Amino acid sequence: MSRAERATRAGRTRPTTMTVATVVAGTVIFLLLAIPLAVQVITAFRGPFLPFGVSSARWSVDNFATLWGLREDFWAVLGSTAAFVGGSTVLSLLMAFGLAWITVRTDAPFRRVISLLVIVPFIVPPIVKAQAYLLMLSPESGVLNQLIHLVPGMADVTIDPYSFPTMIVIQSLTNVTFPFLMIVPILTGMDGSLEESARVSGAGWGQTLRRVTLPMLWPGLLGVTVLTFILGLGSLEVPLLFGQESGKSIFALKLWTLISAGAGELPQYGLAAAWGCVFLVITTIAFVIYLRATRDAERRASISGKGFRPTTMKLGGWRIPVLLAVVVFTMLTAVLPLFALFWSAITPYPLAFSFEALRTQTQFGAFGEVLADGEFWASLGRTLIIAGGSATIACGAATVLAYGIARARATGWTRSMDLFASSSVAIPAVIAGFAMFLTFMVINPVIPLAGTIAALVIAYSYRVSIAYRAGFSATLQIRKELEEAALISGASRLEGFRRIVAPLLAPTVFAVWIQMFILGTNEFTLPAFLATPESRPLSVYMYAMINPRSAQLYAPDQGAAMALIFTLLVFAIGYGLQWLVSLRAIGRASRRGRVVASATDALGAAAAAVEATDDPDATDTRSVATEQVRELSRR
Amino acid sequence: MTTTADMTEARGGGRLVVDGLEKHYRLDGAEVPVVKGVSFTIEPGTFTSLLGPSGCGKTTTLRCVAGLETSDGGVISLDGRVLSTGSEHVSPDKRDVGMVFQNYAIWPHMSVFANAVFPLQVSAGKLPKKQARQRAMEALELVQLDAYAHRPATALSGGQQQRLALARALAHRPRLLLLDEPLSNLDAKLRDTMRNELRSLQQRLGITALYVTHDQSEALSMSDRVAVMNGGRIVQEAAPKELYFAPADRFVADFVGRVNLIPAVVRDRDANGDALVEAFGTKLVTPCPAGSGTGAEVTVTIRPESVRWHEASVDRPNLLAARVARVEFLGEIVEYEAEIVHEQTTVGRIVARGAPMDSPAEGSSVFLELAPQACRVLAA
Ligand SMILES: Nc1ncnc2c1ncn2[C@@H]1O[C@H](COP(=O)(O)OP(=O)(O)O)[C@@H](O)[C@H]1O
Ligand SMILES: [Mg+2]
Repeated sequence: MSRAERATRAGRTRPTTMTVATVVAGTVIFLLLAIPLAVQVITAFRGPFLPFGVSSARWSVDNFATLWGLREDFWAVLGSTAAFVGGSTVLSLLMAFGLAWITVRTDAPFRRVISLLVIVPFIVPPIVKAQAYLLMLSPESGVLNQLIHLVPGMADVTIDPYSFPTMIVIQSLTNVTFPFLMIVPILTGMDGSLEESARVSGAGWGQTLRRVTLPMLWPGLLGVTVLTFILGLGSLEVPLLFGQESGKSIFALKLWTLISAGAGELPQYGLAAAWGCVFLVITTIAFVIYLRATRDAERRASISGKGFRPTTMKLGGWRIPVLLAVVVFTMLTAVLPLFALFWSAITPYPLAFSFEALRTQTQFGAFGEVLADGEFWASLGRTLIIAGGSATIACGAATVLAYGIARARATGWTRSMDLFASSSVAIPAVIAGFAMFLTFMVINPVIPLAGTIAALVIAYSYRVSIAYRAGFSATLQIRKELEEAALISGASRLEGFRRIVAPLLAPTVFAVWIQMFILGTNEFTLPAFLATPESRPLSVYMYAMINPRSAQLYAPDQGAAMALIFTLLVFAIGYGLQWLVSLRAIGRASRRGRVVASATDALGAAAAAVEATDDPDATDTRSVATEQVRELSRR
Repeated sequence: MTTTADMTEARGGGRLVVDGLEKHYRLDGAEVPVVKGVSFTIEPGTFTSLLGPSGCGKTTTLRCVAGLETSDGGVISLDGRVLSTGSEHVSPDKRDVGMVFQNYAIWPHMSVFANAVFPLQVSAGKLPKKQARQRAMEALELVQLDAYAHRPATALSGGQQQRLALARALAHRPRLLLLDEPLSNLDAKLRDTMRNELRSLQQRLGITALYVTHDQSEALSMSDRVAVMNGGRIVQEAAPKELYFAPADRFVADFVGRVNLIPAVVRDRDANGDALVEAFGTKLVTPCPAGSGTGAEVTVTIRPESVRWHEASVDRPNLLAARVARVEFLGEIVEYEAEIVHEQTTVGRIVARGAPMDSPAEGSSVFLELAPQACRVLAA
């Protein structure tokens, strides 16, 4: 961080406004992440129930002993979790990479439409998606099974929704958008001259891909893999809907069942915390891999600089198969799930699709009932408040801290704060939800927040690392001289920040805000642990409607109708906001005479904004990089 | 142009005194000195260059003057106002200087006009709106960018961005203009044009300028004074011609232009008071080196263009027999390298330059004349 060491500090002894802001933001983020984790670890070592304020609390390793006593169960959970999360991560990555490659690097027709279709499922809450797959796969009435029966020779084949492989595939299908959104900028950002110099040195497409492209992309892809893995480990939706019947115990589900006690028993928080600790060790290892990978990726990016865009691959005869694959993917992730939901919303009970049924059995009352349901509107309002509030807190604190750290002299303090602020990606959502739950229980006698909307806002903000990383790299993109020029021109530090830094950071921050907002509206795992009927967001309310066990609320047709309405709303809000951002980013970038990457999504907008901050050094670094590849290919 | 007159009027002063400037960086826990006691004075209205190889501390010195870097020792003052001591520092926005950065640092989210008017809108140089507008347009006119005022700043070419950076640095009429290798990102042709424009603008405005460069021809052609830096110190400060023809030491001689460095020993002194030194086994007449007596080891320097050649021996002092080893045609001049022959063995090499029409053939035997008044003797 030699540039950062050039930090200018006039009047070294007086802390500036910026310093104070950085320290405040750092403290907020530290408390947000450190307290819940500490409470969880303490709970693991203090008794079977809560760690404080109850008579049973005392220091012991009983919980780990119990865990060891049940080691057969433990190994079983570990094994099925590894198969479930690992398998689905690999599958989603393959799909995401393929789709990203098609949209960025080939001449496939309808590329913009394809990238839009991949992003659509992002807006559908995972709990809704999981429910839609359950409906699609129902052996009697599921539309997918119906379709399969139409294929000649497959009349007897029925997909079992509760088989373990099905569950893995479903999990992977619900999680393609996230790796896709991360891989697209990696592919777009790749310096085309590197490949071209390999081609000029006599390498064919295949060789270039193997010897230059993939090695260049590898660290970035590894980083995406780790994040997808941790995301998968933390999500409760698919295990909750499919896992209970399949008989396989997945970690997320295990944690969930441990704290939902049966009648008359005290929930086993201590044991659950011990489980959480063990899995935190696993994700910490994954996090270390992620850190190394991103460091390598950044190093490679800084060697290659910002080159021109890579050339596109001519598909030729492969156009049709590629398009077919995209169509099948879209059917599986968007069309059929939405259809299944819609069908479920207009039929009074599970019913196979037929034109007969369409004519005689359908009714549209569920939509009206949802719109007339006060609780729907109340939970929708809570969802927006929680998602908006947490996105604002996380983006605000993270941006200030990221700016402060990126510009500060590198010391042990700034380095550890940087690591810490990046670390929330290592915490699976189930663990975060559980740890937050414990924390609010523990502090409740002093600060009664448990079960409130405020608690949910705080809990959702734990995904602060997304905003932090984005803010950090966006700050590094703003050359320090731009600020120094403001100072020399007579602007105070605050004026410089307001007039130069803030406008340049704004597109990134706004794009990240939208991303976190949509994540927040979709969130199910965290409120599953934290919400009460008074504070529950729409995702939890919807789950109650489609879950046969929630006796009086059970109304699957209304649940499905609600899911559709909600999806439409999130789409409208999220897409409307993104559209605004990309419009601005495209406008600005084209005014600057630059080619802009696809700006159809939040990350696209961020990428466009990044591309738009121009870099006169790019040409130099590019020729250096070209030289290096020539050197490599000569060997 | 009346506007130019306006711009000149309000400005004045600009006497910069840097005395014993020190700066170190912390690297892996150790303090690494980068600027080691640099002192120089710039008179109002003059153009001074800091010239030196990459990494010698020029940028650091300039940034200390700008206040972007806090110095660790020494005093910087501008028109008698102390800007920096080792412990107290006036912040950059209150120093009343303008600066052109190496990569221009044009704000990409603003128009050309917004960039230029910025210094007149912020706290230190804030002006009423109308006046600020007028001044910014004047500054843009100075660099012929007034027609582009409402373009986005990033829609400018490299040379135009550079001029915009200059306009922005001049808009608030600072006492001192700082420039850090402003031409290094331009192509050769544009660099020459900009060099002239920059110099004539500086003279027209009469502004004091401190210019950092590693390019000796830039420094020599533009400056009133040049300070040559090496390893964090100023090794010589002089007018360009003096620097070229009377370098203070081997480093300056070698860095500023090309030079032959000939090891020699002082033998005697002749009737005119000139020295007789022995080099290449031959006695040469040279100007008398200050303070080195008989037997002292010295270095005789002579520029390649001062070396003359003859086909046959002539009756002139300092004639050396040589064989032309290499002739290189460079366009406006020819450079050739000759091996000095003494008693049938090669004892050294001399590089010489001459007009292309009049050059010796490769492989021919010639006599080289190192005219005494063209030689300079430096301590070894
Ligand atoms: N922030 C920094 N931290 C450590 N060393 C630095 C820093 N900035 C510059 N240096 C070192 O100081 C020396 C002088 O740098 P600089 O003033 O930029 O040289 P130049 O004469 O090329 O402009 C170099 O050796 C450089 O490596
Ligand atoms: Mg420099």
